[in-house]
Amino acid sequence: MALPVSIRASVTPLELELIASETLVDIVPLISMEKTAFISGAYGPLRPPVKSRIPLWMATNLKLKKKCHIVPPDWLNIEFLQERLTHETSYPAFSDLPFRFAEIAKVILDVASDDLQNPDKIRSLLKDLREARQAKSREGLQKLDHSELSLPNLCSMEINEIRPFFIQAMSVLTKLVREPTAGP
Amino acid sequence: MNERHAPDILPAQEELLSRLLDHIRSQSDTVLTLRADPSSSEEEHFRIMLAQTEVERVKFIVRSYLRTRLYKIEKYARYILTNPGVSSRISESETAHARRFARLTDQHFFSSVLQSLPDTQQTLDDNPPFVPPIVTEPDKSRPVFVHAIQNCPPVRLPDGTALEMTKGHISLTPFSIVEQLIARGEAELV
Repeated sequence: MALPVSIRASVTPLELELIASETLVDIVPLISMEKTAFISGAYGPLRPPVKSRIPLWMATNLKLKKKCHIVPPDWLNIEFLQERLTHETSYPAFSDLPFRFAEIAKVILDVASDDLQNPDKIRSLLKDLREARQAKSREGLQKLDHSELSLPNLCSMEINEIRPFFIQAMSVLTKLVREPTAGP
Repeated sequence: MNERHAPDILPAQEELLSRLLDHIRSQSDTVLTLRADPSSSEEEHFRIMLAQTEVERVKFIVRSYLRTRLYKIEKYARYILTNPGVSSRISESETAHARRFARLTDQHFFSSVLQSLPDTQQTLDDNPPFVPPIVTEPDKSRPVFVHAIQNCPPVRLPDGTALEMTKGHISLTPFSIVEQLIARGEAELV
């Protein structure tokens, strides 16, 4: 009723994207704007070509109107991702990435792929990274027990992906453990 | 966002909510007055548009927060009203809604089924052994993904071991274990 069935168990990727858009990014503005007060704080003044820091949603908005260039965050480039990917494939643990990297990377690749160097290569690297991590999180299911599962460095998008299944599995395990003691 | 992932209803963030609503109101007022002013420059139009975009974003978040609470209130209406500890967590208007909703469902159950049953079976809150209670209660043992915002004191896990979460730690664990940490704001649900 108040909440559609589809979003009761989990949040949608679009909602995650909305939250991730609060992250601050650097831009090079092409227009000038006075300092303006927003609900989340005051941003500006924008003075081309001085870099400024504004939330991602604002940067997206400006970019779509061709009024700024987004400076990609320091983790969104080929060298860094390549290094992470090797790390990811050679060690069993998840490698260290920003918590909302998947969403931010997607938004930036969608609206500002011309501000990146070699966006196609980045895209395929991100995809490889995602697949490697996905395989690991599936393996993590083996370690699942009724009390706790530690997932260091897992990202919000990945958590969202495995949430329905993991929660279900853990609930069943909890029931199985509780039954022998509480049973008649 | 905590509200969405928690199986139980959390304390209402009334102060935060009213502050946000105030912000939305003042920001939209500014937008409207600036709009009405024909002498505004193109640059100002631009700022107006950005401000409006943000207002819409915040509205969306506020709305989904309220909707989530409403959903939980309707689902657990009777449970909330019969437990004073839980009913203190919801705001006045939410309490009024919960009360009306509980009365409506009660009347409906009574007129459709209960009135034709024998007297001893006409209530909803009897507790026959080996049957789950009729009044729905939130499942606090449902696992949640928890993210530690700061270093947390150790919590006891159901199998007896202690879990100490350092800053940035993410783990999947039943809600009842981390309930205190969430309430104190030391951890968040993701």
